[in-house]
Amino acid sequence: MRTTLSQILLLVGKDLRIEARSRQTLGLVITLGLLIVVVLGLGLGAEAAKGYSAMAVLWVAYLFSGVLCFEKTMAVERHEGAMAGLLLAPVDRGVIYLSKLIANLLMMLAVALVVTPAGVLFFSFDLSAAPLSFALIMGLGMLGVAAVGTLFAAVVSSTRLAGGLLAMVVFPVVLPVVIASTQLMLGIFRDGKELGGTGLAVLIAFDVIFVTVSWLVFEWILEP
Amino acid sequence: MRSIERSTSAQAAAAELAVHARNLRKVIDDRVILDDLGFAIPRGRYIALLGANGAGKSTLMRILSMLTPPSGGELSLFGQPLRSTSAGMRRRIGLISHQAMLYRDLSPRENLRLFGKLYGMRNADQRATQLLQLVNLADRADDPVKNFSRGMTQRTAIARALMHDPDLILADEPFAGLDAPSTHTVELLLDALNKSGRTILLANHDIEQSLRLAQQVLVLRRGKLVLDCPSSQVSAAEVLKEIGG
Repeated sequence: MRTTLSQILLLVGKDLRIEARSRQTLGLVITLGLLIVVVLGLGLGAEAAKGYSAMAVLWVAYLFSGVLCFEKTMAVERHEGAMAGLLLAPVDRGVIYLSKLIANLLMMLAVALVVTPAGVLFFSFDLSAAPLSFALIMGLGMLGVAAVGTLFAAVVSSTRLAGGLLAMVVFPVVLPVVIASTQLMLGIFRDGKELGGTGLAVLIAFDVIFVTVSWLVFEWILEP
Repeated sequence: MRSIERSTSAQAAAAELAVHARNLRKVIDDRVILDDLGFAIPRGRYIALLGANGAGKSTLMRILSMLTPPSGGELSLFGQPLRSTSAGMRRRIGLISHQAMLYRDLSPRENLRLFGKLYGMRNADQRATQLLQLVNLADRADDPVKNFSRGMTQRTAIARALMHDPDLILADEPFAGLDAPSTHTVELLLDALNKSGRTILLANHDIEQSLRLAQQVLVLRRGKLVLDCPSSQVSAAEVLKEIGG
């Protein structure tokens, strides 16, 4: 258990160090997220863009930025056969999955830290009623998206169709997460309901199922 | 009693072999890549694996390094059957490939330290320093690998493969793209490793170089083993004939 944890920390640290040094991913995905907020905000028009549509727009920004994150972090492993180096080592493939998932999730959260305030300001969306509920719902949603995205990024990266295919595969699968979290937030911010109910259960169940299944099947889908 | 003695001596004999393959097969998409291969590599030998492109050399290397499982047959390393889940076995194998298997944005020291720690080494820093001196990269130990020439990258890749001090070194075209001085450095390194008791399996395209370096030659042709003999007993022309069929 201790070895597993230290290996996960090593691999997450490696991904973050590579990102800090190359600055290839984060700057790009944050810019993309901001552009999506601005373009959709302007496109929806002044009235339509007010308030609750911010939630849907933010999800679009998180999803596209997330997919780009997943592609970039997996591309690092594919370059010069770095993944083969990992697979040669006595490291459980589930450990490789979990470390990649954590690194992707941290990058998505970094994107959210910049894009969310921009969206809130641009759409005049009042978060003050339940900021913690907002953070919890978005956090659970992002975990689900990252769980699916990390798995499919590994599958897609070994094919010739890597660019663009990932979004087409990930978006339909994570639809329940987007719908559940948007409904939950409408309930909280528009209708004044408490956090809970079916929507929250769907988010938690999605996360548990996809993290567990992905961790288990990673061994079979990972090609050096 | 007699059968126990025989069994014990058979185990001892098997343990003396670094690699023992019987009826080894690999089939990918209905295409037979390796066809009933059978060979034995004693510990401490330097073996050259030769064959034309597509003969199955790299596939055999990937099977021996546990990157891909065989489709059939039996394979044992150091007397133990090869299982993909065996962490202990992975610690005994080092693979040098024409791909560097390094992170370009990290320095050689960071790459070596990372892999050393993944192999559970406590003295990873010390070992990394020692290996970087061995491959003449001590003065560039903290530069990112992406700034390196092909030769320097390959020397870093060799240091990575040796980080956990493996008993079996699989070198898959380690000279590809190297200039003459770098080739000479890598040749000396492999020779020194062999002299210190490591078993080396070198997949190579240069027949004369292979015959000069290795003690034994294996030739693959379309997935079949067509020659297995001491390198002193075969000429480059004969090997070339076997490769081409």
